[in-house]
Amino acid sequence: MKSWMKVGMFALAVLAVGLWMVPSGAWAQKEIKIGVIYPLTGGAAAAGRELRAGAELAAKIANSAMPDLAMPMAQNQGIKSLGGAKIKLIIKDHQGNPTLGADLAKKLILDDKVDGILGCYFSSVTKTVSAVCEQYKVPMINGSSTSPGLTERGFKWFWRTTPHDRWFTKDLFEFLVGLTEGKVQGVKAVPREEINTLASACEKTEWGSHVSGLIEEFAKEYGFKLRKSLLYAAKSVDLSSEVRSLKAARPDVMLFASYTSDAILLVKTLKAQKAHPKIMWGQDAGFEKPEFRETLGDSINGILTRTVFLPKVVDIKKLAGQVNDLYKEKTGNDLGGASARAFTGLQTWVAVLEKAGSTEPQAIQAAANSIEIPGKDLVVPWKGIRFSTKGKELGQNVLGSGLIGQYQKGKDGKMELEIVYPFDVSSADMIFPFPEF
Amino acid sequence: MDILVSSLFAGLLIGMVLALVALGLTIIFGVMDIVNFAHGEFLMIGMYTGLLTAQATGVDPLFTLPVAGAVGFALGIICYYGFIKFVMRGPMVAQLLGTFGLMLFLRNLALLIFGSEDRSLHHGVLVGKSFELGMGIIIPATKLAAAGLSVAAFVAVWLLMNRTKVGKALTATALNPQGARYMGIPTERMNALAWGIGGGSATIAGALIVNFWSVNPFVGLLFTMIAFAIVALGGFGSVPGAFFAGLVVGLITEIPGFWDFMSYTFEFEWMMDVPMTSFKYMWVYVAYFVIMVFRPRGLFGWKQ
Repeated sequence: MKSWMKVGMFALAVLAVGLWMVPSGAWAQKEIKIGVIYPLTGGAAAAGRELRAGAELAAKIANSAMPDLAMPMAQNQGIKSLGGAKIKLIIKDHQGNPTLGADLAKKLILDDKVDGILGCYFSSVTKTVSAVCEQYKVPMINGSSTSPGLTERGFKWFWRTTPHDRWFTKDLFEFLVGLTEGKVQGVKAVPREEINTLASACEKTEWGSHVSGLIEEFAKEYGFKLRKSLLYAAKSVDLSSEVRSLKAARPDVMLFASYTSDAILLVKTLKAQKAHPKIMWGQDAGFEKPEFRETLGDSINGILTRTVFLPKVVDIKKLAGQVNDLYKEKTGNDLGGASARAFTGLQTWVAVLEKAGSTEPQAIQAAANSIEIPGKDLVVPWKGIRFSTKGKELGQNVLGSGLIGQYQKGKDGKMELEIVYPFDVSSADMIFPFPEF
Repeated sequence: MDILVSSLFAGLLIGMVLALVALGLTIIFGVMDIVNFAHGEFLMIGMYTGLLTAQATGVDPLFTLPVAGAVGFALGIICYYGFIKFVMRGPMVAQLLGTFGLMLFLRNLALLIFGSEDRSLHHGVLVGKSFELGMGIIIPATKLAAAGLSVAAFVAVWLLMNRTKVGKALTATALNPQGARYMGIPTERMNALAWGIGGGSATIAGALIVNFWSVNPFVGLLFTMIAFAIVALGGFGSVPGAFFAGLVVGLITEIPGFWDFMSYTFEFEWMMDVPMTSFKYMWVYVAYFVIMVFRPRGLFGWKQ
């Protein structure tokens, strides 16, 4: 009896020592927690669903082996350098509210003990959340907020993969100048005076008001005449006086920076008021959401939007096509600018963790600052991802680029986005001028 | 010129709808001396009723008005018998806070049921259509219809108040409840009727507005504020005052349009740069303030 007990005690002791000897890290590393903060309810809920689906798809690919996909994170299960640790997303809803975003970030950091943050789409929310991350020295990667100021604050724990509005807005003016020089596929050189007057309407939070300022700045630089630039609340339920004001300026080119429901409302109101500018251009966001297309139908034929991803990219990039198929299987929609960038954001997180081989914030910081992801591993048509580590901008990806697409009704009656800029990758003749509603 | 005429039309048309919005508020105040903070929420419910009825049954949104009116009438009566009746026993502050609480309750109920997303109508005989009057003057068909129907609803209520026995009883209750009771008027029922009419006119206005505005659970506050301004301007309790003030407020919201007319007709560069559209409701509240300071009774007010 006694010897039986002795054996038992001995076995227990061995087990205890054994457990203690296993490095505690190995247990913790089984899961890497990334806090994901997106607008899942409110006016941008549609965008939020896309962003969430994009990030979830990237996490799924990272956590399972899919050798068919020609990207490093699909080759093995989990993070190889961390012993196959899996990525776990903790998803929160900021409702478009910067204060709520900051609270959620604190909760994620202090209660959920996340290893890093991804988000937040709204530049205004990214601003407050990144400030919290900076305070707690928790790394944050941002995939889809395009306000230029975000990477000009000298933050050491914030990295942005997407190009920002300064580049996109410059693209727009390069495009307009190209139009006057006959560089656009299918359009003869347009006399400058036909597209010389501009008017802009931008939503008035961090993102839109910055775009408005940039339009003003570049209009001056490129010598266009900005006749009206107005700001409106994205939550407006009526924009008829704004639209009348835009029309009153009689612009050749109308420029917008809008989120989803306001973009739909704007175009609907423009149609009811029979506005007929020669060019209508939207700064991504609402203008390239599936809802925008579904709700407005044929009336968007000829509208331009800048973006970073178009379904047409699939034709030039095999990897984008494969990921698009997986995404379509999951959501029923094609990848768009929001989902592709959320995907890329999380993909960058995976690459950074792989390179760091640790979840120590300092190791992640060092890895992010020296990472180099080649363009061929990405779904977006960029040269790659490399973050600036010195100069005015800190943490900005310097290898990104934008596209301008135009909605065109295809032969099958479906509304497709065709690439019209950069000129060398155009996928169709541009419709010019904008057909009347 | 087209800018000026378009703005004038737009202001008058929206003014007619806003007058209907304020009508319910002024009737409830006139009869019961109670300020209904939940008025905008009634309207929001009317917007959802119109939208959902149209979507569920496939009928044109303009034909959902009877449904919206019935829902609003019932809601008004229920609110009265279930809540306001009891609050009326308390002091003035209790009544104010009571309807304020009702506002919060209805808003959050809507948030729970419908979610916070903006919704809008995309199909209908008139949705997205417009008339061109020449010279570039364009009038959206939905707004014209809404204005016309608002005026019709307004006239119907006015006739009810002035040409029927029930209307006389309502007026009597408004003037002197005790005296009315002595004359055998069931003032309790008259109060409920005032709430019914108030609720019904707000929801009908909502079902009209949803033809061209989008709706979310928070939209009510804007309308409550505008309705307050209109009622203050027109005079608390005055029906014709509400109509007149509605038109004035409609035109005030078009100040940015008149501003644009000036700036582009005379090519004043400095005027083009002023973001007037951002301040379009500010002028309404400025007018509210001015009228409160100089004529607190309103232009047509008779209740002291």
